[in-house]
Amino acid sequence: MGTPLPASRTGSAMHEMSVAMEIARIAEVKLGSTAPQLVAVAVDVGDDAGVEPSSLEFCLEAVFATPPFVGAKPVILRCAGDVLRVAYLEIDDGSPED
Amino acid sequence: MAVRKIEVRERVMARNNEIASDVRARLVAHGVTAINLVSSPGAGKTTLLEKTLAALGEEMDIAVITGDVQTQNDADRLAAHTSRVVTAVVTGGACHLDALQVLTAMDEIELERTQLLFIENVGNLVCPANWDLGEKEMVVLFAVTEGEDKPLKYPKMFQNARRVVMTKVDLLPHVPFDMDRAVANALSINPKLSVFRVSALTGEGLDSWYDFLRQSARQVTPG
Repeated sequence: MGTPLPASRTGSAMHEMSVAMEIARIAEVKLGSTAPQLVAVAVDVGDDAGVEPSSLEFCLEAVFATPPFVGAKPVILRCAGDVLRVAYLEIDDGSPED
Repeated sequence: MAVRKIEVRERVMARNNEIASDVRARLVAHGVTAINLVSSPGAGKTTLLEKTLAALGEEMDIAVITGDVQTQNDADRLAAHTSRVVTAVVTGGACHLDALQVLTAMDEIELERTQLLFIENVGNLVCPANWDLGEKEMVVLFAVTEGEDKPLKYPKMFQNARRVVMTKVDLLPHVPFDMDRAVANALSINPKLSVFRVSALTGEGLDSWYDFLRQSARQVTPG
């Protein structure tokens, strides 16, 4: 297993908040140390995932408003089944527009 | 600005499930049978455990991890019935236990000296269904003071569980609870469920619950 989560990230919150914090952890790992600016985070949320989409959206807004993030926009993608996964991240890598 | 999309497709529960696999492997290696007890608040998890510890505590080495949103009252109640470790996890608002909390709590338990490990989850029929804790099996408690349609309202919990324990059956003469309908509802969600009918107060039905636990503990052999 990986490094233990810091105390603030061990799920000491309501269900959607602990899900949101885990999503933030996945995003942090994915972005790595270069930490490009995260613009949006999209999450597939199945109807049977046991997660309330609007509540998750609210929690994601709160979590992604705190450093190292600077207000990434949550995108909830409803789908069937019990899917709950980070679909994609949108980043601004600072390179000039094509 | 140049916005770029990175495909991730990573399941949110992936890390919890990974930790749960570690927990499961450690338990199996030590020959420990772990049972995750779930139910609505007040269905009788702690009382059933109190009786179980009192009845089987002599013949089996039983350890308990209890999860509660606040207070360690359940752990205190259970500690009165066993000299074995009872570890309280106060989730501080969280509605379920996760695998990391169980892994951390396991550090306090001498696994070599443990045959049966109960994980008393937070009273909640929604969230605990989504978090694998590394247990051998999930057992859901369903009290006769609840509605017969609980399994239909909270199907995931009944799908994931392998046993359902109908509790407080001593109250059946006093409540308008249709046991047959309740059990039929549970089986309609999960036909493989085996059903216990118990009263922790009168002791009715507890023998078959104890037999199941004895049998379950024997089935895990140290690797």
